[in-house]
Amino acid sequence: MRFLRNSFVELSARDRARAILDPGTFRELVGPFDEMESSHLVQQGIVPQSDDGVVVARGKIQEKQALVISIEGVFQGGGIGEVSGAKIAGALELALRDQERGVDIRPVIIFDTGGVRLQEANYGLLAIAEIGAAIVALRQYVPVIGIIPGKVGCFGGMSIAAGLCNTLIITKEGRIGLNGPEVIEQEAGIEEFDSSDRRLIWGTIGGAQRFSVGLVDKLVDDDTLAIREAVYHVFDEEMNIPRSSKVDMYHSFFQSIDLSKTIKPHEFCALWEDYVSGKSGDIPSLSYLPINKEDEGKSRGRTWFYALVGTSNINREVPSVLCADAMLGEEEVRYIAVVPNHGHRFYRARYGEVGVEEGWTIAKYVRDAVEADLYGKKRAIVAIVDVPSQAYGYHEELFGLHQACAAAVDAYATARLAGHPVIALIVGKAISGAFLAHGLQANCILALDDKEVNIQVMSKKSAARITRRTIEELEEATKKVPAMAYDVRSFATLGALYELIGGVNADSPVDKDIAKIRYKLQEAIQMARTSSRNLSNRLASEQAQKGRNVSILVRRKLEEQWN
Amino acid sequence: METLFFQYPATKTLCHRAHVGAVGSGDLEILMIPSEEAYTKVIVRTNVKGFGKTWAKVLERFFTIHDIAATVKINDFGATPGVVTMRLAQALEVSQGNEVLKE
Repeated sequence: MRFLRNSFVELSARDRARAILDPGTFRELVGPFDEMESSHLVQQGIVPQSDDGVVVARGKIQEKQALVISIEGVFQGGGIGEVSGAKIAGALELALRDQERGVDIRPVIIFDTGGVRLQEANYGLLAIAEIGAAIVALRQYVPVIGIIPGKVGCFGGMSIAAGLCNTLIITKEGRIGLNGPEVIEQEAGIEEFDSSDRRLIWGTIGGAQRFSVGLVDKLVDDDTLAIREAVYHVFDEEMNIPRSSKVDMYHSFFQSIDLSKTIKPHEFCALWEDYVSGKSGDIPSLSYLPINKEDEGKSRGRTWFYALVGTSNINREVPSVLCADAMLGEEEVRYIAVVPNHGHRFYRARYGEVGVEEGWTIAKYVRDAVEADLYGKKRAIVAIVDVPSQAYGYHEELFGLHQACAAAVDAYATARLAGHPVIALIVGKAISGAFLAHGLQANCILALDDKEVNIQVMSKKSAARITRRTIEELEEATKKVPAMAYDVRSFATLGALYELIGGVNADSPVDKDIAKIRYKLQEAIQMARTSSRNLSNRLASEQAQKGRNVSILVRRKLEEQWN
Repeated sequence: METLFFQYPATKTLCHRAHVGAVGSGDLEILMIPSEEAYTKVIVRTNVKGFGKTWAKVLERFFTIHDIAATVKINDFGATPGVVTMRLAQALEVSQGNEVLKE
């Protein structure tokens, strides 16, 4: 029996990393004395930290080479900015390079983060997409472990990254969810989620609840030894299949849930237990209801989907996710779009948001193509992007929306790695977790040059509230930091777009517009087939040399210090 | 954010560089780097404006007692004078190779 415990939660990010590594093996890369701080924060009058809140450490775990990445939740809520994001993504990319060369290295990520740092917005969003891509690629060689000790917890885009890990270790102090309680309250009202109700919060997204519904793998005490042992166990055991890849299981589970009344946390546990033990029997799938035509909300996503696909052979299994295979020139291409459905049984996802059903359904449609083309020509997959946001709601968080988004990220990344050209075509809004799930894993991102094409991490109202600024102050800040702006031209300066396509009527495309986009898609597919299967082209572009020079610099420094 | 600069004469060199603390609520981060010059240079960046005189007093007291030639970078997020002094003492201990106090 142990009486004295060494708290892991109370440790700083650096000490947490040190505690996971074998004693005396900790070696920090791009540490405080390299002074890679965030110039974007300084520009906005916010005090930076010398390591930008992320500790990257090499060392050993059970005498094997290891990489531990630890996020400091105390600094700016563990928010991911350009430097901190590049440190995480860059380190994982180097670990992947080692694995590809036959050098075994064990990756562990300690999550204590609110997600994208709103003051650096799209820098964080792009970095999180790169982090996700690296995790999925690394998993081909070695299990990626995520630890959520607690204090901040694990939120926003980083909860999606966590959802990609092979194994998640959490304590009772840990929480994981896509949208934090304050953001849900802001977006959906206090009736939807009361962010001052601590019992509700912990009952929905707390470590113990997440463990009881299988959304994390290990619930451990807040004890350094216990956490280290949990890590050892994962590396000793056979590699498990990450949750984000178990699409059929989760897809059918969520389709079986009756949403006609509010489901309490303990009821959700019971549903899950019945489902995994096979007790739930033959519950009729609830989403296969006849589609009411009037519920089909108009959107650019829908317009462009029909424009490119026509109206036949559309899979309407889930009314808010359209999927069809259609000819594009000589080849068959799979198109996927998320569209508004005003009769959606998830009432918080009626306007084209990416919710639980959308995440798992996208994953299913993408994986179906990967499986069907296993031995044949890999068909291109085109994500038509017009997603106003992820769904903000109580049921969404209870059911693990982050995991649904992770499933979509996983599917797109897996398809890309398997050799499918994955193309994102942004025709409308591309916001936040929704864009991470549907679009940001593409080889090539195309966007229409149009005023209504917006790329951001949060609505202005919420971003202002969370960063404690007025909307005017927020708009003032966007002038200094282009990554904070909402328009697609500012986004283009970050270099992640393959092409910004002008001269197209985005709202009501006519034949010549459609022909132009078809041609551009074909070009992008050709490009994707002949170039690398990772996301490295985003930093290789001419704009990125300027717009994301710090992301490149951080990676170079990491590489210099790697061995 | 306010940036403040201070300078104090110094004769003794610092053994090692040191890093302590974090830029979190009520805390601060200090980087202490050995310097070849005959004085200590302090750069303070703080999110609380208008406390220049308090900083001057706290720092002058510390660097009068401790004669060290160093570049000291402070990133402050609302630490009280007591916390500032303790973090400075901790940084000094770490720079002298006291690993126990190292964060």
